[in-house]
Amino acid sequence: MTLMSFMEAMSTSSFPLIAAFFIGLMTALSPCPLATNITAIAYISKKIGDGKKTLLTGVVYTLGRMFTYVLLASLIVYIGLNVQAISLFLQKYGERILGPLLIIMSLIMLNIIKLPSLKSGDKINRLKEKLSEKGYFGSFLLGVIFALAFCPFSAVLFFGMLIPLALKYSDGILIPSVFSLATGLPVIIFAFILTFSVSKLGKIMNKVQTFEKYMRYAIAIIFLIVGAYYTWRIWI
Amino acid sequence: MNKLIYIGIGLFILLLVFFIPKYINGDATALSNSKISSDIEKIEVYHFHATNQCYSCKTVGNYAEETINTYFSDELKSGKLVFGHINGELPENKALVDKYEAKGASLLIGTYYKDGNFTKEENVQVWYKISNKDDYMGYLKDVIEQKFSGN
Repeated sequence: MTLMSFMEAMSTSSFPLIAAFFIGLMTALSPCPLATNITAIAYISKKIGDGKKTLLTGVVYTLGRMFTYVLLASLIVYIGLNVQAISLFLQKYGERILGPLLIIMSLIMLNIIKLPSLKSGDKINRLKEKLSEKGYFGSFLLGVIFALAFCPFSAVLFFGMLIPLALKYSDGILIPSVFSLATGLPVIIFAFILTFSVSKLGKIMNKVQTFEKYMRYAIAIIFLIVGAYYTWRIWI
Repeated sequence: MNKLIYIGIGLFILLLVFFIPKYINGDATALSNSKISSDIEKIEVYHFHATNQCYSCKTVGNYAEETINTYFSDELKSGKLVFGHINGELPENKALVDKYEAKGASLLIGTYYKDGNFTKEENVQVWYKISNKDDYMGYLKDVIEQKFSGN
């Protein structure tokens, strides 16, 4: 039995949660989510000094993906939004926004574009700084946005397989949650590996801060490349 | 923040506990709208795609065309079987996209019955078979044959 036929058999399993999980795994391996997940891994591992934090950031990124997928599925299952309309809309615009967005993010990380500095006086701003400092808010947002970027194959998996499953069982929450977990799993696993390997390496070298600076530039370059790839594919 | 994550995990487990009994009782309502009829008028196989096609999208369409040309050339000539690559972004194809409710790149099979009924079905399994052409063609051949036999 080949890997693909195994994936197919599991994705069409009569137990819906197993099916949802394997549709999610297949999604994680399909081109678009793979590209966004690699970008996310790069982003998440920028603060490799703290292993536990890296792992939690990976979990938060997955929660961000879950937010989007559950929201979409719930709108369809409970409110009855038209699947065809949402699918075509997201395939048309989701991908288009993603490329330029990644490029802008990379320019911010490279300090080419400077964000207006916030006065850290009031509580809201302090909270905002705390959240972004830890990287949780950023990775949650990254998950939310990346999940919206549907490519043809990931759209087939989500709108052609997962949504019919969710509709069949009138479940717009748990089925998409399990699916999301599987789409973010590679990121969590990589964050886990990074936690135990790279952070040790950094500590041994005792140059964590220098290491982080270079990591940040490397990540910005990854964002730029992935962003340019999407932009080129869609706009040109 | 850590607390939030633990709360999130806790909520997820609660959801699992809440929803799982539903599946075990098997009270799902099947969406089956297939009507069994021995009198098939015509079968349409359409490969819907966008103007910019991904690699897998092209493969799904090309293998489908090859399957039909190889195994159903007689039906194709007699008009019992119709095949087409449909660019969903062109305005002239809008009616077909709406009729089939195509949600993007997809392989859709429509069955016309002599009593005037029409059913459509998206086949998602072909996407898993694009790495193995023989497997893909054998599978799609069986699917189309079954449709013709009225199943």
